Amino acid sequence: MRASALCLALAAVGTVPRPVLAHHSFAMFDTARRVTMAGTVTGFEWTNPHAYIEIDVPDDKGTIKHWSVELGSPSILMQGGWKFSDVKVGDKITVVISPLRSGEAGGLLSQVTLRDGRVLGNGPGPGGQR
Amino acid sequence: MTSAAGRWAVRRSLWAGPFAVMSCALLVWTVQANAQTPPDLSGTWAPYRAGRGADPALTPPPPSPIVLKPQYAKTYEARRAAEDAASKRGEPLGTAAVQCVPYGFPRMMAVALYPVEIIQRPSQVTIITEAFSEVRRVYMNQPQLPVEEVPPGYYGHSVGRWDGETLVVDTVAIKESVLSYQNMPHSSQMRITERIRLVTPDMIHDQITIDDPIVLEKPVVYTLAYRRMPNYKMVEFVCENNREYVDEKGAVRMKVRGK
Repeated sequence: MRASALCLALAAVGTVPRPVLAHHSFAMFDTARRVTMAGTVTGFEWTNPHAYIEIDVPDDKGTIKHWSVELGSPSILMQGGWKFSDVKVGDKITVVISPLRSGEAGGLLSQVTLRDGRVLGNGPGPGGQR
Repeated sequence: MTSAAGRWAVRRSLWAGPFAVMSCALLVWTVQANAQTPPDLSGTWAPYRAGRGADPALTPPPPSPIVLKPQYAKTYEARRAAEDAASKRGEPLGTAAVQCVPYGFPRMMAVALYPVEIIQRPSQVTIITEAFSEVRRVYMNQPQLPVEEVPPGYYGHSVGRWDGETLVVDTVAIKESVLSYQNMPHSSQMRITERIRLVTPDMIHDQITIDDPIVLEKPVVYTLAYRRMPNYKMVEFVCENNREYVDEKGAVRMKVRGK
């Protein structure tokens, strides 16, 4: 009886409401880090559940490394001022990302500077939706 | 008094009573009809949560605690602890949503910042969510079906009625594999009651009460708020480009195209 009461107390006290994310947790990204990269767009996919920017980024020696950058969904991006035509293949852009913790060449967009100089986040509000 | 005038007076007095009664009846009917005309909830609405910029007067009250029966509480808390530990490792646990499986009711009603659309007809209220394009149909003024007669599904069977200016919706037959509020487990006996009302012309509150005599010690009550999005056009959501997957350890991964 005492154990049951303890379980109940734990269940009631330990449960903190969590928001429902649209698709997945973002814990695989190191959101404490911000990495800035300038490069050339090789693909822009305006799709669900996420949009993606594919970008070739040269290092100091000119060696190209390819990165996949995840964005919010089109709906969330549009709420932050995005249009489906804001990025095109061949654009020179700068992205700020939170990289994958796995070390793979991918990350979550934090901010982008487009070819025309406009700066967008990853959704509405500071930092955008993730 | 002349005989003609007298006859007219008699006739008028004979008609006056029924006319007055009919007039009063019409007046009462009109007043009642106006009083019973439900508010129109049609439109698109965005989740409205407490936090920066939110009007405290319009944000919903805090939810009641989740109190599961002991045999369910242990598993539930263990799962949440595992989720927390996995997230701290940077290896969040996979969920159905990672594989683009819709949330179902009730979680579909509050997914991130995604709007919902309400289409209201006297016989049916339809709720469409933008995330995963989920659809609920609330059949108005019909008796609820016995749960044993409804095939369990993501949205169950919902019936509605107006209680004054509040839309009351009763939902049963949510599939047991479809997790409930805060990923709670539930049984086939779960019943969800919603009281949906306009708290201002541009703000809806949906008070949701989840009762499950098998899983819950007491009903869970929480309220969702939505702000009107004038002229907003719902965006399609077809899960066509899902680069997330669940690896052999059960963790969410993102496919990258670079070497």
